[in-house]
Amino acid sequence: MALEIVTGRGVYRILAAAPLECTSVNVVLTLAMERADGIERVVTRCRVARELVGEPPESDAIIERLKGWLAREFELTREAALKAIRSERRLHEIIFDQANRGPF
Amino acid sequence: MSLQLIPPDINLDFVGKRYFFVALSTVINLAAIFLLLSVGLNYGVDFVGGSVVQIKFDKPTSGDQIRLALGVLELGEVTVQDFGARNQNQFLVRFEKVRNIGSLGKRIEGALNEKYGSGNQAHVLRVETVGAKVGHDLRVDGFLAVAVATIFMGVYIAWQFARVSWSFGAGAVIALIHDVLVVSGALVLSRFEFDLTTLAALLTVIGYSVHDTIIVSDRIREDAAKRRREPLDSIMNRAINETLSRTILTSGTALTVLAALLALGGPILRPAAFTLFIGIITGTYSSIYIAAPVVLFWERGHRIKGAAARAA
Repeated sequence: MALEIVTGRGVYRILAAAPLECTSVNVVLTLAMERADGIERVVTRCRVARELVGEPPESDAIIERLKGWLAREFELTREAALKAIRSERRLHEIIFDQANRGPF
Repeated sequence: MSLQLIPPDINLDFVGKRYFFVALSTVINLAAIFLLLSVGLNYGVDFVGGSVVQIKFDKPTSGDQIRLALGVLELGEVTVQDFGARNQNQFLVRFEKVRNIGSLGKRIEGALNEKYGSGNQAHVLRVETVGAKVGHDLRVDGFLAVAVATIFMGVYIAWQFARVSWSFGAGAVIALIHDVLVVSGALVLSRFEFDLTTLAALLTVIGYSVHDTIIVSDRIREDAAKRRREPLDSIMNRAINETLSRTILTSGTALTVLAALLALGGPILRPAAFTLFIGIITGTYSSIYIAAPVVLFWERGHRIKGAAARAA
């Protein structure tokens, strides 16, 4: 499932780029933010504490919860993700837990 | 006991060797111009336009296999480059003129996974696209930024040092042009990508070089005021020797940092670090062996013309 958010850079589609990874403690979603016209794509990872998501954890439900947050924090998230991929050749990771619940 | 890296009474003959170094610089600059016109800079996607796609594979593969797999998409000319350490299995794929940009990342992922199968999954981490017109405009703007910065600094220096000689401005501009040419030539030879970060580094080199030139010129101005009966070349040599300690320590500390960045900075920072590294060396050199001799040639020429006019 791909959801759309409207950002200052245009419309972006948010979709899962890889299967959900579940452990007893965390759920990790690999998220792709793709511009609607296809000229840009950035992948980032989202690590959410297990107790903040429903059971069983589902990618679509997590993306739905993230949608509003991503629309607000888009620029910072995009910049951090691009920097991590370009310079460190790894995916940027956003962490949500009890101390930082974000949209959860 | 205090630490003295440069003895305070040092007296090296810089001005006496100016003909050799001006000749050497002329040869290097002509070579740089030839390289720029024949080979050209390795422009990044910011300046030529097109798309860059960063792909990560689960297992090792080669650029040739990737190119083969992407052939079915008919995306035009494709360049594949290893990106990062070997065990990271990451590649940069560049397309200069993509015929159909829509869902580029998804299509590339699909084509690669069809070729490689489940044994070696491809993940498109990043797609960035710059339009050809934007790339062209950025190239023009980048060149203008360098040219305007150089000219304005030359004019300002000429005005500030007018009481001693207008030629200080000319010396500074010629030194800056020399630095830009040397750095550009080095970038052509190294094939480092010339992108917006490298352009920013080049502008920083101009700022650094003119700063160093001003330090030397200001000391020449100061000494010329104190020693009116002394010949200009002797004043210049004394001024360069007096500022040598400051010049070497400032350049040396900056170069140490840049050497660390070059070695450890990674592929994204390396082009900018390389630009700054070469630029600081040439900037220091040009303040002594380009800017100062230009003033000397100008002043000698004017004195000879003046003497010839009085004799006639």
